Amino acid sequence: MSLGDRLAGFAARAAAPPAIDARRATLGVVVAFLAPALLVYAGFTVYPVLRTFYNAFHTIKPHNVVEFAGLGNFTTLLFADPVFWKAVSNTALFTVVATIVDVAGGLLLALCLFVRAPLAPVLRVVWFTPVLMSYVVVGILWVWIFDYDWGLANATLRWLGLGAYEQSWLGQPSTALWSVLVAHEWKWLGFNMIVFLAALHALPSEVLGAAELDNCGWLAKLVHIIAPMLRPTIVNLLVLSFVGKMMVFDLIWVMTGGGPLWSTETVSTYVYKRAFEWNTFDLGYPSAIAVLWFVIILAFVMLMTRLLRQRDKLEF
Amino acid sequence: MPALASLGERVRRVPLVLFVLLYTVVTGGPLLWVATMSLRTTAEIFKDPYGLPSPAHWEKFADAWFKSNYHTYFWNSAIVVVCAVALVTVIGAMAAHCLARYGFRGSRLVRFLILSGLILPPQLLILALFQILLDIDLYNTLTGLVIVYVATHIAVTVYILEGFFAQIPQDLFDAARMDGYSDFEIFWRVTVPIGAPALFTAVTLNFIVMWNEFLFAVVLLTDDDKRTLPLGIMHFTGSHQLDVGMAATGLMIAIVPIIVLYAFFSETMIKGMTAGAVR
Repeated sequence: MSLGDRLAGFAARAAAPPAIDARRATLGVVVAFLAPALLVYAGFTVYPVLRTFYNAFHTIKPHNVVEFAGLGNFTTLLFADPVFWKAVSNTALFTVVATIVDVAGGLLLALCLFVRAPLAPVLRVVWFTPVLMSYVVVGILWVWIFDYDWGLANATLRWLGLGAYEQSWLGQPSTALWSVLVAHEWKWLGFNMIVFLAALHALPSEVLGAAELDNCGWLAKLVHIIAPMLRPTIVNLLVLSFVGKMMVFDLIWVMTGGGPLWSTETVSTYVYKRAFEWNTFDLGYPSAIAVLWFVIILAFVMLMTRLLRQRDKLEF
Repeated sequence: MPALASLGERVRRVPLVLFVLLYTVVTGGPLLWVATMSLRTTAEIFKDPYGLPSPAHWEKFADAWFKSNYHTYFWNSAIVVVCAVALVTVIGAMAAHCLARYGFRGSRLVRFLILSGLILPPQLLILALFQILLDIDLYNTLTGLVIVYVATHIAVTVYILEGFFAQIPQDLFDAARMDGYSDFEIFWRVTVPIGAPALFTAVTLNFIVMWNEFLFAVVLLTDDDKRTLPLGIMHFTGSHQLDVGMAATGLMIAIVPIIVLYAFFSETMIKGMTAGAVR
């Protein structure tokens, strides 16, 4: 509740006799409004989360066979599962690179339109199109683009006379993760562009005008004036992008299924495989992975917001 | 000399224009490529992958729609998404109205509980949801998927709506109360009409996200007859591995409705998709 609301509430309470205070409600009314949402939420979000935490400390076999495992799942995970660590390093690499590309690329595209590139209003709409496509569509499309024989990627290289650099992009461990990353950025850059563009248009024009008068170069203007003023947006997108990438599943699943040779295995695809594809028939172990990963994501988000927001306070 | 200045200005803009053009080709090119492939046979595509569709094989669309299960996938998606969006909008709006309008004990706790759903990874829910739906016999049913979609989208719906509802001037509610409106009438006849833009934004966002949703659907549905569109496309492409032309037609059936909607409602869809990120 914002301060304004609270003040409005106090004002209403002071001005009107209690009988017609619209801010007050009987318990029955509050329950009636909240109950549907809270019941569904409790049953199909809160309870599953608690059950996942419970599962993480057990071995869950089919037909409701449950055995207590203590910290066993976690010790196996941390000390005896090379695939998990491969998945962690892939996810970390993917997250760091994709988050940086998301924010830097989105800002670059937004600036292009902000300085009135021709047809900017049309391009803004066109560049956003991939954001609306499902990962399945994007994934299949990019599998074709990366096809060795007739895909756009190799065809473009051949056309540029760089036929020597033809690759089996998704078929070899050295390029697979990077290729999926390209497809991922193709889908998401437009999103970041739109958010930055909205923030740019909300900047006070006097400040930019003053920089213009001071004959400030555009790079200096970007680094010293625009970037600091966009800080809240940048922090927001960094966190949003980070969380999204740490959970990346769909695109990997459609494009490579985690292969070849674990080279695109991420934590999320590994959770899915351990739960539904491996013959271990145990939901406890993948639950432990999901729990551990959630704790790590939460810790990083708190760290990022704290670090980045504190500098805000120092500056202003 | 203004003419010279503008010439210099123009030269400086050449790299910008080239870059903008390149990125537009990168964004639109692949989509146009699928569009041409969807109208050509696989033999034509393998002879020349980048040729134009002449003659255009429109009949491929009818084939994909009727001869495979595409129409089933499409209607499954439509039923699930329409039901889930309607439900989540109604119960989300009620909760958001309650949190934005009434001061009551525990309101901060309820708000925190609901909004913490914004940061829950689906992986943390999916295995337990699989067990729970099995327990209550809703595994592999569209009803089960609808309930899961509603539950997992309450947080974002309340987040969008409460922010907007809280800005509606209190005077309106005081006046309505003095006119003798009941609590429910206040919600229905004041909050809902005035909050319509926010409701529209929430509906758009949830619609697009659910229409494209893959992870919950792939875990919670198994029968071919129950598949939603993303699962159907995946299955269709998988079973037409070598028939790229037909697979492209299948892909295009998924792309076209979104492009058509986007052509008419581009600003609404942009606003909806970025509602959580733009302040």
